[in-house]
Amino acid sequence: MLWLAIHLPRLSLEAWAAALPPSQQAQPLALLQGQQILAANDAAAEAGVQPGMKRATALALAPMLLLGQADARRDREALQAVAHAALAFTPSVALEGSATVLLEVATSLRFFGGADALLARLRQALAPLGHCTRIARAPTALGAALLARWQGEADAAAASRQDRQDQQDRQGLQSAQDLAALQRALDAMPITLLDAAREHAPALQAMGLQRLADLRHLPRAGLARRFGQALLDEIDRARGTRPDPRKWLCAPEAFDARLELAARADRADQVLHAAARLLVRLVAWAQARQARVQAFELRMQHEPRHRADEATPTATLLRIELAEPAAELAQLQALLRERLARVQLAAPTLELRLHCHEWVQQPPPNTELFPTRQSERSGLVRLLERLRARLGNEQVLQLQTVADHRPERSVRTLPWGVQLADPPRPVPPPAPRPRPIWLLPTPAPLPERRAMPWFEGGPLQLLAGPERIESGWWDGGLAARDYFIAQAADGSLLWIYRARLPVADPLQPLWFLQGRFG
Amino acid sequence: MTHSPNLLVPSDRFAGAGAADPLQLHPALWRAHQLGQQRDDVVPSGFAALDAELPGGGWPTRALTELLLPHPGVGELRLLAPALVAVQQGGRSLMWFDPPALPCGWTLSALGLDLRQLVIVRARDGLAAQHPARTRLQAPADVLWALEQTLRSGHVGAVLAWLPAHVRLPSLRRLQLAAQAHDGPAFLLCEAAALVRPSVAPLRLALSPAGADTLALRIVKRRGPPSTTALHLELMPTLSAQARARARAQAGRVARQIAGETAAGVVGPAASSAFARISGRTPSRSST
Repeated sequence: MLWLAIHLPRLSLEAWAAALPPSQQAQPLALLQGQQILAANDAAAEAGVQPGMKRATALALAPMLLLGQADARRDREALQAVAHAALAFTPSVALEGSATVLLEVATSLRFFGGADALLARLRQALAPLGHCTRIARAPTALGAALLARWQGEADAAAASRQDRQDQQDRQGLQSAQDLAALQRALDAMPITLLDAAREHAPALQAMGLQRLADLRHLPRAGLARRFGQALLDEIDRARGTRPDPRKWLCAPEAFDARLELAARADRADQVLHAAARLLVRLVAWAQARQARVQAFELRMQHEPRHRADEATPTATLLRIELAEPAAELAQLQALLRERLARVQLAAPTLELRLHCHEWVQQPPPNTELFPTRQSERSGLVRLLERLRARLGNEQVLQLQTVADHRPERSVRTLPWGVQLADPPRPVPPPAPRPRPIWLLPTPAPLPERRAMPWFEGGPLQLLAGPERIESGWWDGGLAARDYFIAQAADGSLLWIYRARLPVADPLQPLWFLQGRFG
Repeated sequence: MTHSPNLLVPSDRFAGAGAADPLQLHPALWRAHQLGQQRDDVVPSGFAALDAELPGGGWPTRALTELLLPHPGVGELRLLAPALVAVQQGGRSLMWFDPPALPCGWTLSALGLDLRQLVIVRARDGLAAQHPARTRLQAPADVLWALEQTLRSGHVGAVLAWLPAHVRLPSLRRLQLAAQAHDGPAFLLCEAAALVRPSVAPLRLALSPAGADTLALRIVKRRGPPSTTALHLELMPTLSAQARARARAQAGRVARQIAGETAAGVVGPAASSAFARISGRTPSRSST
């Protein structure tokens, strides 16, 4: 068994800061639990704000401090996203505590080409989520978790000592190669890292017990009587002398995530940054399920008190469909950006929800070293998706020919990406007669003088025709026309017709322009 | 003052000293009396007479080509069709931006184009389907944006864009820059009124109809010596042989009467709304 533990020492703070606009992320930030500071970022720590301080003290130290409230649900969702990213590497992923994800990777090593390569890939996959991570490797699950947490606490201590250099040095991986090495490392660990020991911390300290090794040398029966069996169990599980079954995590069938914005967003582009964070989670989920997203929905919930009237909708819903299923972050982000750019929010929004239940299970496409026809095709699909997201479905079109003799019905346009029911038969056209390239959908009437159709102040010369088209009595669009090819004064060719329907009104035009030969 | 007969000496000395031929120095250099070369591939136009006049012997790639028409429907697509078919046969797609009317799919198929490899992008205010008598002073911003993105992506085989006469020069410059990433021909079809405005496109052609199934084509700007005479190209015939003969006879009679009138009409003020004339409804000067 080889376990990796990903510990997120700043999970709560980062989960809250994710919703802030990028310009505010460098400011001093701190998270409150009740009236006490729970966590502070580097800028705040530099001003002297430390976890455990009172709110008023912190504000006195750093007047520009931005404060947020801790939210266990938000933390849980952020941790879930990390677990989803981990699920792309092994099916055996479990959560440990409130800020640690465990992966059992012994079976995946061969596929990823060794532990180091896997770790590098894992770090790459975690990077877009934007969390500060501490990763440890050990033969037992709890052992790995404790090592990662220990490393995280040491960093926090280093940070509070303003000892940045030390922190930089500790970026590396905490690793115990075998059980003996793990047990040695655990012996040197402070007792307070154990969950079961936290409530007994004052008593343990009073007894002069600092390290795990001190505890291990005491009689087990006495320890169990004083501190409970749970403490002994935890140590045994960490040392690998007691089985430690875990409940594996499963990625849900449909993706659903929400994010509360830190500030009211009045325009759609203001939510882009926060929505991008949700997209990162969507991609992590898709990778966990080996899914490729077909369509997703972004719901921007409007604040009830900011809605102008009852007619204002309670939410703005953006639905983004992909021409071909995809799970690439950059592509989804580009689509979302184009769509958000042309959305008008009916009212300010404070909460975003991203939902996706339309996906397909598909292996990712092979990547190509050199541009090929396949890569050009996928590039074209992405380009058209972007155009469609910005311009709308009705602006990006494909042509389809219809077997109908009436010119205005012989061609129709469909939104691009709609699968044609039957692929158009290329040639031959309905009649082996020349047809103009440009068709006017509504024929333009032409005046008649001296029994000739006139166009732009001159008579038209009829060169070919008539070609009689009489069709459509069955669908109400009866056309009875004689078509001619005519030449205009400047030499260009027109396609005109004379209506053959009985005309009641003698003033009604007889001649119509149908198209031009381009 | 003595008139020196040796004004040309420097250039002679330059050539005589065995210095490199400017054509060898850089593909963008050419002598003023020669046709320029094309650094990139060209797409043959399918008309030998036209290829002989174009720098590099065909439609340029990675650059804009501007075609100036008095109105749509002078034979412009039959002129471009051989090149477009060649692009599609290479497995690449066509994109048309804001065409002036609905293209007839049957005719395009008859010209050899594959409709499955054709995408049409139209402006928000509609294909001319809804607005037959549209006149636009400014090119719609979303079409220009889409055109630029398409050129920049380089995933499209050939691009045709119908633009109004008054496109702002910075927009054209952006398009020309974007076109450098576009490995294929890019045609801008503008109204003839655009003839008087400067353009960044290295190749500009003015088209006008010259009788049935014949197109008169004048090269307004190219990398090479200015061209003086108009080319007359025979297009893929629409008419039967005897109809064409009839057209010729009539055209000869009519041409003598109205030759001056049409020539004025191409660049005259009335041409500013020329694209509206596809349906014969000129807003400023109603023909009915």
